[in-house]
Amino acid sequence: MTFLEKQTDPTTPMHWNGDMQADYFYSNGVAGDKFFKHLMKKDTFLASMCPECGVVFIPPRLYCEDCFCGIPDENWVEVKAQGVIRTNTTAMMDAHNEPLEEPVVMALIEIDETDGAMLGRIKTDMLGMDLTGMMVKAKLRPKKEREGTMKDILYFEPY
Amino acid sequence: MNDVAVIGAGMTVFQRRLKETGKELSYLATKMALEEAGITKKDIDMVVMGSAPDAFDGIHQKGENLLDGAAGAGKPYVRVFNGGGTGVFAPIAGWWHVASGVADIALVVCEEKMGNCYPHPQTAFRHIWDPILDRPLAPNLVWLFAMEMNRYMTKYNIKKEDIARVAVKNKRNAVGHPCAQLPDEKITIEDVLNSEMMAWPVQRLDISPPSDGASALILCSKDKVRQFTDDPVWVDGVGWNIDSTMWTNRDLCFPRYVANAARMAYKMAGIHNPRKDIDFAEPYDPFDYKELHHMEGLLLCNKGEAPILTREGVTERDGDMPMCPSGGLMGVGNPIAATMGQKVCELYWQLAGKAGKRQIPGDPLVGVGQAWGDIMQMATVAVLRRG
Repeated sequence: MTFLEKQTDPTTPMHWNGDMQADYFYSNGVAGDKFFKHLMKKDTFLASMCPECGVVFIPPRLYCEDCFCGIPDENWVEVKAQGVIRTNTTAMMDAHNEPLEEPVVMALIEIDETDGAMLGRIKTDMLGMDLTGMMVKAKLRPKKEREGTMKDILYFEPY
Repeated sequence: MNDVAVIGAGMTVFQRRLKETGKELSYLATKMALEEAGITKKDIDMVVMGSAPDAFDGIHQKGENLLDGAAGAGKPYVRVFNGGGTGVFAPIAGWWHVASGVADIALVVCEEKMGNCYPHPQTAFRHIWDPILDRPLAPNLVWLFAMEMNRYMTKYNIKKEDIARVAVKNKRNAVGHPCAQLPDEKITIEDVLNSEMMAWPVQRLDISPPSDGASALILCSKDKVRQFTDDPVWVDGVGWNIDSTMWTNRDLCFPRYVANAARMAYKMAGIHNPRKDIDFAEPYDPFDYKELHHMEGLLLCNKGEAPILTREGVTERDGDMPMCPSGGLMGVGNPIAATMGQKVCELYWQLAGKAGKRQIPGDPLVGVGQAWGDIMQMATVAVLRRG
């Protein structure tokens, strides 16, 4: 029985070194296409409002998950690319459990004029502290460099 | 619906990396459960396997790979999984096999071999996010839970030391657990507060470790249970509930999906006042703050009250309402699905008086176990009762 052996190196037991490599193209989807095409031209976000319960979704969606009805084109609304931090972290380690070169401040941002929130990186030197309630706005790539992905939002910064 | 009892349980040691393959771990846990129940493979009608992301073991559709070690070869067999919720969802699936009458004896096996994933199993979690909206920002789960922890602390004005207290309690509770990976009878709150910062406010000792391991549970119909015991432990209620993957639309300070699952289980079990009717609990504790979050989601206290009860000693093993007497994930380890060993097998061992050094004083009658998973959205709950 090996149960009392403490192993921290995965190569200690006899093994075969393998992988599960596969690459993907993820389509943005119908709502995603509309959101990102708008973002390539404007400095605002698109949101969508449920015609039955009135909830405003950001990022926008084709349907309301509660009322389970479609959201028609006329219910898409333009909102400012800004909001208020609901919660945040300052990350020190990456997914491989290695220290990051620079700490990353990541936050959940309640987008103004909507009922939703977006994940975003924050440009700030206020590391390792609670930023709840901070008002932030999106810093977008220059329009000619936008590609129609979340990478077009460089970060959010206080205003 | 048939009444369902537990007649045996098994669990391997949990460690960071074990020599055994996933199917060997499954075999060892299954064999232990069969021996405790006093039955053999031929007595098992159906088998349920619980195992979380394929990417940990590195085998797509790993349920089929694991089945021979889980006494599943040549039998009706199914794998269920919903991330971290699997450890309680798999026994729920076993329960419905027996409750529905299609099986008299169902075996539930849960396995996870996170150590296969290199350099760190967190790597696999990079691929559970929405690929369009979240993944381009390169978050990981520790960062996400750090944001939830901060939200919980900020909303209810909770001090970090009151969260660290849970890590200390559970790592101390794990002393004496024969399977424990991280028992520590000398750990202090200061140790937790001084440990390495991973993603503020989460520190190294706020998190349960990745692990390899397996656990097993044998469920039996009321018609047959008297062949095995005169004092059965019953699965009295089960509940499960899942919220949208759009976690950004939730408040993050109260897990409403846990409350929904708990209400479902309590209704089935005839529990009207959880705080009074439940003697002890095994809330899911992959992070120390999650035990507190889940105590509140399980309606065992008011919102924001869990840290206060913990500080007052109510949740200690000899307290008024013990939480994680097994040592939980924080002390015993976190091989995701295999934590059925702490969250359901432990309820059985405690109620059957078989918990050894971990035994809760006072002859407990009712325990609740819970697991939590996916992207802060899945809750699974089981209520067990003696007699």
